Amino acid sequence: MTTAIDPVIVAKDLRKKYEDITAVNGISFEVRRGEVFGMLGPNGAGKTTTIEILEGMRDADSGDAIINGINVKDDPIAVKAMIGVQLQQNAFFDKLKLSEIVDLYAKLYLAKVDPVEILSRVGLDNRKNAQYAELSGGQKQRLSIAVALVNDPVVLFLDEPTTGLDPQARRQLWELVRKIQADGATIVLTTHYMEEAEELCDRIAVVENGEIIALDTPDALIDQLLSTGFKPEKRVREATLDDVFLNLTGHDLRD
Amino acid sequence: MKIYLALTVASLKMYFRNKQALFWALFFPLLIMIIFGMMNFNKYSSPNVGIYDAANNYASQALIEALKGNSDQKLLSVSTGTLDELHHELEFGSSRAVIEIPANYGIPGEFAEIKFIYDERFQQERAVIATILEKVTDAVFKEAAQVPDEYRVENAIGISDSVITGQGQGFKAWLIPGVAAMAIMQTGLFTVVFTLVRFKSQGVLRRLKATPIGAAHFLAGQLTTKAIVVVLQTYVLVIVGAVVLGVSVGGGRLGAWFDLSILALLGGALFIAIGLAVSGWAKNEETAAPIANIITMPMMFLSGVFFPLSVMPDWLTRWSQYLPLTYLADGMRAITVEGASITTLGGELIGLGVWISISFAIAIKMFRWE
Repeated sequence: MTTAIDPVIVAKDLRKKYEDITAVNGISFEVRRGEVFGMLGPNGAGKTTTIEILEGMRDADSGDAIINGINVKDDPIAVKAMIGVQLQQNAFFDKLKLSEIVDLYAKLYLAKVDPVEILSRVGLDNRKNAQYAELSGGQKQRLSIAVALVNDPVVLFLDEPTTGLDPQARRQLWELVRKIQADGATIVLTTHYMEEAEELCDRIAVVENGEIIALDTPDALIDQLLSTGFKPEKRVREATLDDVFLNLTGHDLRD
Repeated sequence: MKIYLALTVASLKMYFRNKQALFWALFFPLLIMIIFGMMNFNKYSSPNVGIYDAANNYASQALIEALKGNSDQKLLSVSTGTLDELHHELEFGSSRAVIEIPANYGIPGEFAEIKFIYDERFQQERAVIATILEKVTDAVFKEAAQVPDEYRVENAIGISDSVITGQGQGFKAWLIPGVAAMAIMQTGLFTVVFTLVRFKSQGVLRRLKATPIGAAHFLAGQLTTKAIVVVLQTYVLVIVGAVVLGVSVGGGRLGAWFDLSILALLGGALFIAIGLAVSGWAKNEETAAPIANIITMPMMFLSGVFFPLSVMPDWLTRWSQYLPLTYLADGMRAITVEGASITTLGGELIGLGVWISISFAIAIKMFRWE
């Protein structure tokens, strides 16, 4: 692996305009090696644009995105080679088996991997001969994570990895994210599920109108809110409706 | 190189697993070939005759016009050219006879012997052409007889026959390379357009953009895959066509298959490039399909695939001779039925080369990942 540089991601005053809409309006943050960094915010807040600038998918109008010491605008290919990417919309070749898709993507990075081993990391080894179109939503998301892991990435970007998944599949994906973190990767994810952020992220940036309006650990953010004298409207319950649903339908995956 | 190979192998797998696309790539052209091959268009058309005019004077030109007939009654379909070209056409079946008008035709006091060379295998056409030739020369005499004595010039005309055994195999053999060329156009253009536009609208291309590969890797892989498909398809069509319709390919010359592969590759590259240009421009399948059809449909009928360009009006052939498919169909026909080899094809190769350059320039300008 490439030499370790900490912080592994440095975003400095990123700005991006689409015609008359300012999508990213001066975003700066740092991500430490080994942490799960969450970007939260409503739709259209600029999360995806920010993440895509870091991935080398889009050019920023100004500012710097530095991944593991390499500025994306100087060498986007080198950055792409050492990161793993799960886009918000993922699509893979049809008519190929999952193992062939993983193998093909590994070759695009000139990486030598065992496709079945990669698939087993995301729990898809039993579907290695299936085609992409035959997968359920959760399986598709897990495949796209498997593909993002082929080059043993320094940073893994996950853009809304659990949107549209049922609670079972969501929980399974959380476990997967923790496992990948435990294996030593740094993870940047976007989400608009607060419980997901609380569950997974070491630190959170809240994005609104193209700007970061808060950045801290989930606990610190909650403490800050409480210190202003904030009282939740309802008494905190011991269980959530999510727990009820999972209790009724079981934790087993439906695919 | 490794990346390019991986992409090529993957897209070959995808293509051959798509049974439906495979079926249409072969079924439709074969169906056309067999149906048209069983029809006999030669029956209804006036015989093709090559006329070599060595005299090239007022009298000889009048004779040629008379042999063509008039708009009420078309007599012969006349093509002109060098003696070699005309004999080649006779030998390989695109014409049924050669008429040579000697240099002394129409010159006072000379005996002009018109040579009439025909293919012995087509006795019926020989009889028709010979009758027309006799009638027309008689008429020329009769007309001359009405000229007052003091102005009349004496020019005796004789007709001498000779015969060759041609190798032409008729319309069926003529049809096979044309349909194969059409199939190259369809496969090259449509599979590229539909695969790329689908990949683009699904976001497959966008996902590839997130990897460290360049567009060139991906396009080269696509190009190689489709080129291999096109060559295999050409083989299947020509072999099946030749077996079903009972014709021989390239006079049995083995090198003809090599030459055919080269032409198929050139044709494939050309139409793939056109396909890349269209798929770069089109946003989705709905806009891509009509454009692909607008490009291919006219060529199917104007490029001499189903019937020779000579049956079309001159103003049209003046343009349609420069169409990409015309160059490809002509070249493939020259190799499969006219005994040519790739080294003797001049105009066709230049024509294809020019079109390939133009199309690739446009394709590169038009390509977008998303």
